[in-house]
Amino acid sequence: MIQHTLGEFEELVLLMVAALHDEAYGVIILEGLEEKLKKKINISAVHVALKRLSDKGFLKSRYGGITTDRGGRRKKYYSITALGKKMLDNQYSLRTSIYKQIPKISFG
Amino acid sequence: MKAYPPKNAVKFLRWFCREDCVEEIEGDLTEIFENEYGRSIRKANRKFVLRVIKYFRPEFIKSFRSNHQSNHQAMFRHNFLLTYRNFLRYKSSFLINLVGLSTGLACTFLIYLWVSDELTVDKFMEKDHRLFRAMEHRVRATGIWTSPTTPGPLAEALVGDRPEVEYAITATWPQLYTLSLNDKIITATGRFAGKDFFKMFSYELIAGDANQVLADKNSVVISDVLARKLFNTIENVVGKSIDYQHESQLMISGIFRSMPVNASDQFEFVGSFEKYKEGQDWLLSWGNTGTQTLVLLKPGTNVDEFNAKIADYIKVKTKNEITYRTLFLKGYAENYLYGKYENGAQVGGRITYVKLFSVIAIFILLIACINFMNLSTARASRRVKEVGIKKAIGAARKALVFQYLSESMLMSFLSLFVAMLLVYISLSQFNVITGKHLVFELDRNRIFLFLGVTVFTGLVAGSYPALYLSGFNPATVLKGKLNSSFSELMARKGLVVFQFAISILFIVSVLVVYKQIEFVQSSNLGYNKNNLIYFNLDGALSNVKTQETMIEEMKKIPGIESVSSTNHNMTGHNGGTSGVEWPGKNTEDRTEFERMTVNYDLIETLGMQMGQGRSFSRAFGTDSSAIIFNQKGIDFMGLTDPIGKVVKLWGQDRHIIGVVKDFHYESLHENFKPVFLILEPNNTYRIMARIAVGKEKETISSVERLYKKLNPGFSFEYNFLDTVYQSQYENEQRVAVLSKYFAGLAILISCLGLFGLAAFTAERRLKEIGIRKVLGSSELGIVYLLSGDFTKIVFVAILIALPISYIVARYWLEDFAFKVQLQVWYFMAAGILAMMIAWLTVGVQAIRAARVNPTQCLKNE
Repeated sequence: MIQHTLGEFEELVLLMVAALHDEAYGVIILEGLEEKLKKKINISAVHVALKRLSDKGFLKSRYGGITTDRGGRRKKYYSITALGKKMLDNQYSLRTSIYKQIPKISFG
Repeated sequence: MKAYPPKNAVKFLRWFCREDCVEEIEGDLTEIFENEYGRSIRKANRKFVLRVIKYFRPEFIKSFRSNHQSNHQAMFRHNFLLTYRNFLRYKSSFLINLVGLSTGLACTFLIYLWVSDELTVDKFMEKDHRLFRAMEHRVRATGIWTSPTTPGPLAEALVGDRPEVEYAITATWPQLYTLSLNDKIITATGRFAGKDFFKMFSYELIAGDANQVLADKNSVVISDVLARKLFNTIENVVGKSIDYQHESQLMISGIFRSMPVNASDQFEFVGSFEKYKEGQDWLLSWGNTGTQTLVLLKPGTNVDEFNAKIADYIKVKTKNEITYRTLFLKGYAENYLYGKYENGAQVGGRITYVKLFSVIAIFILLIACINFMNLSTARASRRVKEVGIKKAIGAARKALVFQYLSESMLMSFLSLFVAMLLVYISLSQFNVITGKHLVFELDRNRIFLFLGVTVFTGLVAGSYPALYLSGFNPATVLKGKLNSSFSELMARKGLVVFQFAISILFIVSVLVVYKQIEFVQSSNLGYNKNNLIYFNLDGALSNVKTQETMIEEMKKIPGIESVSSTNHNMTGHNGGTSGVEWPGKNTEDRTEFERMTVNYDLIETLGMQMGQGRSFSRAFGTDSSAIIFNQKGIDFMGLTDPIGKVVKLWGQDRHIIGVVKDFHYESLHENFKPVFLILEPNNTYRIMARIAVGKEKETISSVERLYKKLNPGFSFEYNFLDTVYQSQYENEQRVAVLSKYFAGLAILISCLGLFGLAAFTAERRLKEIGIRKVLGSSELGIVYLLSGDFTKIVFVAILIALPISYIVARYWLEDFAFKVQLQVWYFMAAGILAMMIAWLTVGVQAIRAARVNPTQCLKNE
């Protein structure tokens, strides 16, 4: 089995999708990230990340209903899969465990 | 106010973006755009465009290598299968189309082979575009006469006077001569030509140097075939001597490869013109003509300008003595196709037939194409459901057009193979009819042409059905309504009318051509051409004494009825003079009288009729100063009561002793012309003898024995006058035979089409027929009903074709001075024949349909 990895931005997007829980679609994710990171992000970068995450099996998607907004285009909602959640957990525990190994002494 | 993102950017996005992403991306972009729109429209627009461009990256660009490729293949297979099934299902239509198209194509190919052969005659010369033959327009009282003969001194004078001339030579026309080597005697066609002959004409020299071969007066260049005949080899032949006419020796200076069959001049040896000139003083004068002058102009010379310069050349050269002859050059190769002149203007020649047959080829192919169109559109009603369903499930019109075109294409390629086979089989017969040596070789050009014609045929034949069938409205078609519009019916009928009109035209042509040939053969020539043989007075026989002996001895042979000698061959213009003077003659009049030098008894031997006076007779000692004219000559001079009157011939007095009734010494294309006969046995070149009917064989062998005795070393070459007479109408005979075949084919193809249409109509109206029969209609009534439509169509075709064929027949007959009268019955016969054939074709179908059992056809549904 191919061991998929997560890039930094991908991880952020995945986190954001998980955080937004079932309400995540392109523009909302973009806005959420911009707010947290305090910088402008390109929507195309978000879409690339979403696409790659879907390809890796960390995200699944569904279409919303047609509204008069968005030129009548449907929203594509993303939600995290079990595999995605596991990946996030792994990342989190990995980072925490390494973080815990930092000797307190170092900072005096 | 609603905000809309820039249209072009959206279009672009939709064009390149993958289908599974485009909605999401477009939606998100639009949402952002809408948010930004409130702040700044321009900025929002600009940013939208920029963002769209950022999506132009591999992840989002769709694959443009769509799956069209495999779809095409699948469609092609599908079309192929449908076509195949259609062929199987409708075998009769398939066969009709196959036979029609393949014979049409075969016809076209055969005619193409013939036409391309005609067009390449004499074109093989390397310097073709610079090679010319000098010709003369001569003004006569009856109009301008154009002649290919020119005076002897012309060639040399042209080279000296005109810097544009590279070479100019005098040459004779190919003629039969006797050559011998030891005791091997061969009659060969030869000619004499100036020394630059082989430098001008690219006859390939196997041995010898083109600059030298004809330099010596006694040299001769022979063909490889003749060399093999004489020496059985072509090795070491140069330098050997052969006997010429048993009177002198010629030394072989070179060997040339026999010219291709598409050369108009065919000869086996070329001698030096210096040799021919020996003792022929007439060749030194500008006043006499009889040889040809061939000219090679320098590159870049404009022949029209050159012709303007030499127009009055003969007048200048003779110091204003001869003023009525205009000199001009004509392309050497052109003469074959454009050889006919009328009153100084070029008026066609063989090119007429080349054009005629090209047109015929196109028409026959058209008729075959029309069959295909008619049958497929007629059959359309069977296939409308197919078209409707295909369209309903989304077939584009283009796909349907493609389907029907590929169907007709397949048909025409099948026909191509059959046509090739037909051409291959019939070529030898075609060669016999046309007198050609055509070979069916496929070079690249021909393959391209044949494929081109086939594709064209497929397109033409398939275009109408393809466009027509694909145009149906699926909704109406599936509801079962197919209203054949008025114009569409008219179109189909119009095509049949066209086919039949052409067939009728062919029938009339065949009738007229055959009638004219029959007329030519049966018309009274003013003499009796049957059972008349003639042979030339060569070798020892050119001596008057031996000639007398020959004639006297021949008279003793039992099968010989009568014998005499003359200079004339009775099948064409032999030679004439304007040197006849009579009281009241206009001094400007240059009209030539045909000159016949005769021996005693010639008029009786030929069976000419005396109108007035008497023939030459031994009973009168003064006949050497006598002269006999034909009626036309007397009329021309305007003499009344001519017997005993005196006219001058070349300045000498001659008294008229008789007037012979007009006779044809040329083909019936020509009118009667003035002729005079004088008694000069020493100026006659051939003996003419009439042989008793039924004794030809033994009489001729007796004459041959006598000939061998008196003229040893020469072979006895004789001709029957009537055979030679026939050969004057070779072209007409060929046209007759060919038009017979073409007419047959045209009719066959048209009938096939009509047959198919009739069968189809009968099938479509089967229910109607059933109901009619149930209601009490008779079989005859139904036959009448079914054939009535076609009768009208053919009748219209007849109405259209007859005036056209009348004009065409008139035009063709115009070429003859003596012709059959066009009679009404020719046209009636053609019309009735066409009608009968049409009835027969349709009738078979109609009767079959009429005899159907009504319960059978009304049962289902």
